[in-house]
Amino acid sequence: MVIRKAGSEVTAVSSCLTGSCCCCLSTSSSQRTSVSRNFFFFIIIIIVFICLSLFRLSSSMSMYQVKPICGGDIKIDLPTCMYKLANIHAQQGTGCNPEHALQNGEVDPAVKALEARQNEIMRKLYELKAAVEGLAKTVTTPDADLDLTVSSSLSSQSSSSTTFKGTTDLDTQLGKDHGALRDIVVNANPAHPPLTLLVLHSLLSQRYRVLSTVHVHSSVAGVPPQLLSCLGPRHADSYARQMFQLGFTLIWKDVPKVEMKFSIQNMCPIKGEANVARFLFKLLAPYPSDPALATLVDSWVDTAFFQLLDGSAKERAAVLRALNSALGRNPWLAGPDVSLADITCYCCVLQSGSVSSAPANVQRWLKSCENLGYFGPAKLLLQ
Amino acid sequence: MCVPDRALVRVQDLTPEKADQLIWLRARIHTSRAKGKQCFLVLRQQQFNVQALVAVGDCASKQMVKFAANITKESIVDVEALVRKVEQKIESCSQQDVELHIERIFVISQAEPRLPLQLDDAVRPDGEGEEEGRATVNQDTKLDNRVIDLRTTTSQAIFRLQSGVCQLFRDTLTKKGFVEIQTPKIISAASEGGANVFTVSYFKTSAYLAQSPQLYKQMCICADFDKVFCVGPGKKSSHHVLPPCAAFTLVRSLRCFQTEIQTVNKQFPSEPFKFLEPTLRLEYTEAVAMLREAGVEMGDEDDLSTPNEKLLGRLVKEKYDTDFYVLDKYPLAVRPFYTMPDPNNPKYSNSYDMFMRGEEILSGAQRIHNAQLLTERAIHHQIDLEKIKAYIDSFRYGAPPHGGGGIGLERVCMLYLGLHNVRQTSMFPRDPKRLTP
Repeated sequence: MVIRKAGSEVTAVSSCLTGSCCCCLSTSSSQRTSVSRNFFFFIIIIIVFICLSLFRLSSSMSMYQVKPICGGDIKIDLPTCMYKLANIHAQQGTGCNPEHALQNGEVDPAVKALEARQNEIMRKLYELKAAVEGLAKTVTTPDADLDLTVSSSLSSQSSSSTTFKGTTDLDTQLGKDHGALRDIVVNANPAHPPLTLLVLHSLLSQRYRVLSTVHVHSSVAGVPPQLLSCLGPRHADSYARQMFQLGFTLIWKDVPKVEMKFSIQNMCPIKGEANVARFLFKLLAPYPSDPALATLVDSWVDTAFFQLLDGSAKERAAVLRALNSALGRNPWLAGPDVSLADITCYCCVLQSGSVSSAPANVQRWLKSCENLGYFGPAKLLLQ
Repeated sequence: MCVPDRALVRVQDLTPEKADQLIWLRARIHTSRAKGKQCFLVLRQQQFNVQALVAVGDCASKQMVKFAANITKESIVDVEALVRKVEQKIESCSQQDVELHIERIFVISQAEPRLPLQLDDAVRPDGEGEEEGRATVNQDTKLDNRVIDLRTTTSQAIFRLQSGVCQLFRDTLTKKGFVEIQTPKIISAASEGGANVFTVSYFKTSAYLAQSPQLYKQMCICADFDKVFCVGPGKKSSHHVLPPCAAFTLVRSLRCFQTEIQTVNKQFPSEPFKFLEPTLRLEYTEAVAMLREAGVEMGDEDDLSTPNEKLLGRLVKEKYDTDFYVLDKYPLAVRPFYTMPDPNNPKYSNSYDMFMRGEEILSGAQRIHNAQLLTERAIHHQIDLEKIKAYIDSFRYGAPPHGGGGIGLERVCMLYLGLHNVRQTSMFPRDPKRLTP
């Protein structure tokens, strides 16, 4: 660009020169002695044009040469801890190496070996799972009553989370605790005490440190004493609310449906005993991952509340028949393990007073539920 | 022995049982209306009123009817009248089944014809006044003419309720073994800070009006009175036992004042008061967590500002549905120097506040009963030890652990009824701008 600019300046200068020469020529054409002068001017113009053309040509020929600033061979110490990659540029010119060419369908033997190892590991895993399932079946079938009482007493003594499979973390379910007690507030009508929730509360107390309190709202005149003590005796440390992981505040209030409030900002109140039961159960164990099984559990929970507890005599009888046929096939209502379905159905059967009129399979299932040992609070209340 | 020449019957006792009896009655003229040969009067005693009639006939002449019609409102009159049953209920009066037929009427004390405010206007709810274009009376006028304003049914109900509250408080505490004491109101040194003390001239020096009787109640506890309380113009009282049970019994017993509450609600509509039994007790950390969740930025040891307290009240109301709760374990940094720190956590203290409808009614704490610790805390708060020497001295000779708090009587009434201004529950309020009546 600089050269071109200089070139244009030169052309401008030369054109001026030519112009002035022509003027001179024309002005001095009258004088005879100016012939030599004209000739002189003519030579100058030609020289200028030659220089200009040379200049113009030189700009495309070669660039201004700069001497190198530093020497061409500098030693570089390559670090040894870095991962060495082969130089991908160097291979471009080498062309295809016939040794690594792969025919159609043929697989690199290294990959084959890897696949074989993976299959072996998967097979071992499946074998292990089958073995565990077999063990589980032998422990939880209702026929093995003796084993059941032993295992249930062990589990209650250890008070660990083995009662329900699967681990849940309070922080993921309920959100971060902001350094204060996380209090779950349940409003229930004393005319219809929520047995399922009492059972779930006792399960929660075994798993976490729960601060339980019972209050009576001003909308209710009075409440029988067993409803006031339904959550068990007051904890010795109940003055230090911060030391507990979870708070369970039960308020006896004149409400049409059981209601649960937890976080005012992020959650709307949960209404209905079935829904509150689902929420509390999720704090103990996740729902079965198989969607069909999860749906089965949900359907039994709803059946328990809407048809067994709130339904007419005909509906109740129909539900008992359904329970009977379901329990003929499996030891528990939803799959091989105890689930929320069993808890809710047991409580509803108890509360609707259908224990004596239940068919054989249901009776057997009721006994095995009782052997589990969770249902103490519910039975106490009904007495 | 002096026998009164007339037996005065109360308006509230005028029922159909007294029909056809000749009775004497002393009441105020609420309204009087003349119609031709008859004059209708409404006679009022506190919140009860009855219709009375003067008609031209054997007992009354035309001039008497005219005289009755011209008696000014609010005058006190004695009437001798026959009680008559009425077929149609008189809706506008409290005694709806009877009517008085006046035979003799005397003016005992005449009121001036121009009243500074009309009682009907003073009782009208603010909303109704705006809608129908009728007059209401604003608060300053009411307070300037407190004598007339206190005659309205609403004011009568409020102050009867307040008297009931005070009495219930006394009864509850006395039943629990508390001793009522009288404390001095003139003291030598301002107890807490010097900002709002009133100075009085005292013989050759000056003294201060006591802000709170706390100092002396603590001294009484050191004097082995175990449980003391006092009701006084600072309107505070102190207990040895944890106050929530006493305060709660109070709130529950206020249910017997249903008529009074309903009367007040007619002029000042509000939501009924809700509470939980036993009282809800939350800790300060939970309150901070709830406020932070709602978007308020505050530090762990910050005090609650009034708007934050109101917001917290709303949040607690939404979650637990109660208008009354106790907030425990306040941070030590925001409490006075004599507050006992929490043994488990030095950042917090054994102090608490009670809230009704989101506003504080009581501030209390366990007090430090050890003279050395008290001195340390006072130095920490940069308080002149000379000024509180007498206070610290009272703990040097054996002092039991103790705590307590002071409840504002007027605030409790105001918040229970859902009113918005504490002057409405204060009979003759005093504030920076008001010194009379």
